[in-house]
Amino acid sequence: MTARTYKTIAYVLLTVASLITVVPLLYTVSLSLQTEKEMLSAESVLWPESPQWGNYSTLFEEAPFGSFILNSLVVAGAIALSHLIFDPLVGYVFAKFDFPFKNTLFVAILATLMIPLFVRMIPLYVMMSDLGWLDSYQGLIVPFLMDGFGIFLMRQFIQPIPDDLIHAARVDGANEFTIYWRIILPQCKPALAVLGLFTFVFQWNEFLWPLVVTTSERMRTIPVGLTQFSQEQFQLWHLTAAGSVIMFVPTALLLIFSQRYFVRGIALTGLK
Amino acid sequence: MATPAELPQLPEPVELPKRTKRTKRSPIARRQARTAYVFLAPALIFFAIFFYYPIADILNTSMLTGQRTDEFAGFDNYTNAFEDPQARNAFKVTLQFAVATTVGAIVLGMGLAVLINQKLRGSLAFKLALLVPYLTSIAVVGLMWRNILDPELGILNRILSDLGLPTQEWLNTHPVATIVAVTLWMTTGYTMILFLAGLQGIPDVYYEAAKVDGANGWQRFRRITVPLLTPTTLFVSVMAVITGLQAFGQAYIITRGGPGEASDLFVFHIFELAFRARNFGYASALSVLLLLVIVAFTLVQLRIGRDREVQH
Repeated sequence: MTARTYKTIAYVLLTVASLITVVPLLYTVSLSLQTEKEMLSAESVLWPESPQWGNYSTLFEEAPFGSFILNSLVVAGAIALSHLIFDPLVGYVFAKFDFPFKNTLFVAILATLMIPLFVRMIPLYVMMSDLGWLDSYQGLIVPFLMDGFGIFLMRQFIQPIPDDLIHAARVDGANEFTIYWRIILPQCKPALAVLGLFTFVFQWNEFLWPLVVTTSERMRTIPVGLTQFSQEQFQLWHLTAAGSVIMFVPTALLLIFSQRYFVRGIALTGLK
Repeated sequence: MATPAELPQLPEPVELPKRTKRTKRSPIARRQARTAYVFLAPALIFFAIFFYYPIADILNTSMLTGQRTDEFAGFDNYTNAFEDPQARNAFKVTLQFAVATTVGAIVLGMGLAVLINQKLRGSLAFKLALLVPYLTSIAVVGLMWRNILDPELGILNRILSDLGLPTQEWLNTHPVATIVAVTLWMTTGYTMILFLAGLQGIPDVYYEAAKVDGANGWQRFRRITVPLLTPTTLFVSVMAVITGLQAFGQAYIITRGGPGEASDLFVFHIFELAFRARNFGYASALSVLLLLVIVAFTLVQLRIGRDREVQH
């Protein structure tokens, strides 16, 4: 087999695989624009005759999607912000400081990566219940303020920054926090961008914990709100599809803004 | 200035510098240690409360009857688990699911990575297209496929009937195979990226030498690519088994664990026991058992990997 035929086969197979991943998503867009009649017809409608943009506003009338979106923005935003505040700080300490029990503590933090959410699910629920945090922003946000992966990522990124920079600042009389804020953090901008974006998107998509901790409709995040909506209104598939399209927006933005980097980023942050 | 593209690809092993002897720390060292602890304090408190306390608490709760306020039951919840047909069924289903998604992840991920590694034009577009599902919430993926696969309203059956072909009820006849397929649809792009990173570490000279020796494409794949990808394959399989054993949304959203209990994934089973039946004690015991299975799988896979590496 020549290299040429080999490449042709590779193109064909990759195109087929890409169509398999992309077409169902495009069909969901199509479904979100269909009339109820098109959606229920026995024949396959691949694209609606006239797109029903009104489906999107109907969605907001049928269920409080505005508050679902707001809740998701608040929760994913707060968690991403907290990661941006703490992960580089803790990563910096493990990269550049020497202190007793350093390795023990670092291993203890990394070991949390091996504790799956289902193990924490029941104890955290009980804890939130004791604190009176069920069905609240605190309950949705606080258990995820930091994680071992972000800290590990930042430590790996900060370690190669030359020690001389830090020593020079110390000689100049800068205090420790100034050194962190003025010298270390500015170097980390690209890593922080990746960390912030991915933390936001992963939290925006999180399903299990919001399902466990929220009880009222008004506290639901979009993944939970959308799932419950489709269970209660299972004949309104076109509206569920519209909700899915809305939910996909942050992912799409992530793809658009970081095309090239995010392929790398996924290998880094997807490990969680 | 470094860009994200220059970030390390995969975590490197943590190096543990050893302090040779315990000497008295200098004032500077002591000040450094104090600063370090001030900066670390919030994180240490956070991990203690939200990671280590829950482990202690779930061990404790797993020894209580029914709800956590109830009385001490010793190991009853654990021994009951082994005789409970529903728990055994959930475990069997989950194991099938995890093994199938792992094998699928390796075959499809490696296959696509090899194809995309041909230095094709437009490979970034292929990567992006294949990765999109991985960045999508399981809620969106689950609802989308439940709709597409719906026996009456789903587009797949409507196309089949338009073509005059018999319609199918995948979710009723092959529920586990169907959620395996949906899971692979969602995760294969990510597996492919990991294999691609592994492939890029294989020097071209190996392939050139094999070509000189007259090895064909399949032989080169079989004798060079597969063995040299062993560390990646191992990493992917550990990860796929771990995530497979913890799958939840597939059962909650797509199949509701059914028909009957045919797709009752273990975490879904725990969720129902804890938050529907309010049986925290038993649900906690099942969580601990699942965690032990995950740890066991991880250790076995890492051991296999070490033995393999010694052979090379």
